[in-house]
Amino acid sequence: MATTQTPPQRCDTRYFGPVEYNEESVMVFPDGIPAFEQERRFLALRQPINEPLVFLQSLTNPNLCFATLPALSACPGYRLNMTPEDLRALGLEGGQPAIGRDVLCLIILSLEENAPPTANLLAPIVVNLHTLNGRQAIQTDSPYSHREVLPLRGAACL
Amino acid sequence: MRRRAGESILIGEDIEIQIIHIGESRIKIGITAPRSVPVSMKEVKLVGQENLAAAQLRSVTVLRNLLDRLIESPAGGEK
Repeated sequence: MATTQTPPQRCDTRYFGPVEYNEESVMVFPDGIPAFEQERRFLALRQPINEPLVFLQSLTNPNLCFATLPALSACPGYRLNMTPEDLRALGLEGGQPAIGRDVLCLIILSLEENAPPTANLLAPIVVNLHTLNGRQAIQTDSPYSHREVLPLRGAACL
Repeated sequence: MRRRAGESILIGEDIEIQIIHIGESRIKIGITAPRSVPVSMKEVKLVGQENLAAAQLRSVTVLRNLLDRLIESPAGGEK
């Protein structure tokens, strides 16, 4: 993303062994995310073989990695409805940000045995693409649940 | 217990919940509590539990295969 590059660094990952990354690509979550408040630094890892999945890998805990889908892949027509507090915390002024232009918006997936995968559409991971600051935005007045079953109910995505 | 706007509820010695405004579909409440008492929306706890569950994922391959199957069978298509 940035053009001035520091030398690549290495980190261990939960699923993919060691990977190299640049400091410029580190996403910073000043408040962590619920249940992982101390995890502040994450990488978004993509692999052609696993498209369209995006992996949210912690840089402080190699064993912590979330499987996510870009919001619009998980749910075409997905709309953000972030709270004023979350918008302010991410430095997003002037209404809801545009997914892809202003923010990266990732939906955490969860998989329990003998059940279809679920998607936390209620609380997307939102990263300001200009600052790479992120947080998990718990939305109020949202039509979405924290455990939407995939494939998603059509109505929820209109 | 029934309360009107402007009235309060006390919990123990030092927690006060005041009904500040009652709107059509939501109410605004003020909470006074000691710093040692965390105050948050219930959703924060639900999302925390969901994050803990999501962090237990063992196999990317299993997840990917499931997703591939979902994508291959478009809504309304054959299973």
